Amino acid sequence: MVARKTERLMNLVIALLVSRQFLTKDRIRQVVEGYRDQSDEAFDRMFERDKDELREIGIVIETGSHDKLFDDEVGYRISRGDFELGDIDLTPEEAAVVGLAGRVWEHAGLAGESGQALVKLKAAGIEVDDRVLSMVEPRLSANEPSFDAVWDAATRRVPISFEYQRPGREPSTRHVQPWGVLSWHGRWYLAGFDVDRDAPRVFRLTRVTGDVTRTGAPGSYDVPADLDLKALAHELFPAPAVEPARLRVRRGRGNSLRRTAQSTVPVDDEWDEIMVAYASPWELASEAASFGPDVVVLEPEDVRAQTVARLRAAAEEATR
Amino acid sequence: MTGGSSRDQLARMLTLVPYLHGRDGIPVKQVAQDFGVSTKQIVKDLNVLWFCGLPQAMPGEMIDVDMDALELDGIVRIDNADYLDRPLRLDRGEAAALIVALRTLRASSTQAQSDVIDGVLAKLEALVGELATSPAHVHVEEADPVVQDTLTRALAEHEAVRITYATPARDEVTERTIEPLRLFAAQGRRFVEAWCRRVDDLRTFRLDRIETAEPTGDHYEPREVAPEAMSEGTFRVGEQTPSAVLDLRPDAHWLTEYYDVEHVGEPEPDVVRIRLHGSTMDWLRRLVLRNGGAVTVVEPRELAEAVTATAAQALAAYDEQTSPHEEN
Repeated sequence: MVARKTERLMNLVIALLVSRQFLTKDRIRQVVEGYRDQSDEAFDRMFERDKDELREIGIVIETGSHDKLFDDEVGYRISRGDFELGDIDLTPEEAAVVGLAGRVWEHAGLAGESGQALVKLKAAGIEVDDRVLSMVEPRLSANEPSFDAVWDAATRRVPISFEYQRPGREPSTRHVQPWGVLSWHGRWYLAGFDVDRDAPRVFRLTRVTGDVTRTGAPGSYDVPADLDLKALAHELFPAPAVEPARLRVRRGRGNSLRRTAQSTVPVDDEWDEIMVAYASPWELASEAASFGPDVVVLEPEDVRAQTVARLRAAAEEATR
Repeated sequence: MTGGSSRDQLARMLTLVPYLHGRDGIPVKQVAQDFGVSTKQIVKDLNVLWFCGLPQAMPGEMIDVDMDALELDGIVRIDNADYLDRPLRLDRGEAAALIVALRTLRASSTQAQSDVIDGVLAKLEALVGELATSPAHVHVEEADPVVQDTLTRALAEHEAVRITYATPARDEVTERTIEPLRLFAAQGRRFVEAWCRRVDDLRTFRLDRIETAEPTGDHYEPREVAPEAMSEGTFRVGEQTPSAVLDLRPDAHWLTEYYDVEHVGEPEPDVVRIRLHGSTMDWLRRLVLRNGGAVTVVEPRELAEAVTATAAQALAAYDEQTSPHEEN
């Protein structure tokens, strides 16, 4: 069954593509094997479904008429300009880069999409040999159940709604016009316009529970022209470290802090004094406390106080 | 392109014809690999293709598939399909997936490489026109460009590299000579997977934890490593992996989203009890200290004791080491 249908669709594509004229339905029925022996009604249904199948894979079917005397009869054709991939010329190094890009997605659906894009480029004459490149190869996966629906909505601009559950809070239904998705340390976020709150918001996909519902047609809203997802990502996540702090660090220890140190001065046989820049007192106090007796915060006072408070609580509460 | 529906098959065949048209015979295995399907599926496709052609073509005028070459030599060759010599243009989904992949590759690359990738992106965006929007941004943490350049060159030239590496789970810096096998980025970080001569085994190192990297001038024969032995860049839990049961107060509830945790219960309102695995007990001890007050150890006892003891020592250090200026 599949083979016969594919054969019919393929012959339909070829007939519409090679014809300079618009082909009338009658003509199509005559020339495409598989339509000929159908009843009128069955043919009509089949032809409508087949056109939808072609549109689904991205084929644009033109309708029109060339015959000025009988212009009430609509005909169909596929324009080569709409159908064919344009010319693209890549150097061997550029082609190798495209080859690596084809392996970035580990998520099944998007690995399929980028794989199809890559093989189309190969079919357009691009020879890909990616063994020649030595590069950091990124790998992207997505385990959040809502990812596919959200990606699709962001790609086609489809408004959606979903249940959103933050830890320790009651779940709530959110209505969002998706702008794009962000990946931060392996976790995906949706950025978009929250219709209920009338403001841009970011949602963590692990907190989306249940199904994502489409609430409108594709392309039914605009994404801000000046939208910069990268800038949005940086707004959401840690601010740049600018505040100075002075720490005493035991030699050979506190290495994550040492790595970011702007200066390191030995104090004695056992201790160094380092200067680091930080953004959040809370973060620096956490990091300093985690090293226990190997790191002592000297300045500023609020970080020092928070670190001591953290340690005091740990000394008292850990065994509670 | 894994689906077996007519639509999938049609999409594949519309690419397959120009792909084969431009090549004079190609092994069916290679075709299957490029299309990401089985050789059996490609043979099925070819058997359909045989019945396709120009409108009202006679049997001999259909697309000509060289079935002898396929059956005898496993070679695919077609003819009589000049009117299908270009693939269908990229659709929205394909364009988005490839462009996001390229941008992520760029975010992970060195400066010299990013110029090449920019060239590819410009050509691809010109090709797909209005579909060239990128619906995603993938953040990749910075790494020292000197370290990345050194490792990139070493990987290309099979040259061993001496690195100093900070192991956070043990808070120590070690020096080792490594033979890079591949560079990758996952979970927003860059990694090098390498044969480590110090432990004589496969190891994965995070680039932002490599403090220095020096080429050694010593060239190596890359080792054969089974793909399944390769790291995912993420932490894997085994039977021997240390773990702890912890009580989290609201200030520490975010840990349940940040790490893979096993929920154990809710011993009292607003307190979540979890089991968390760590690469070492030391790492778990540091996690509890970091969240002092918001995280309490339920078990094991040794961890609770280690936390209390370390915190007490640290507090003593604060008493001794008040700012030297104050002491004077």
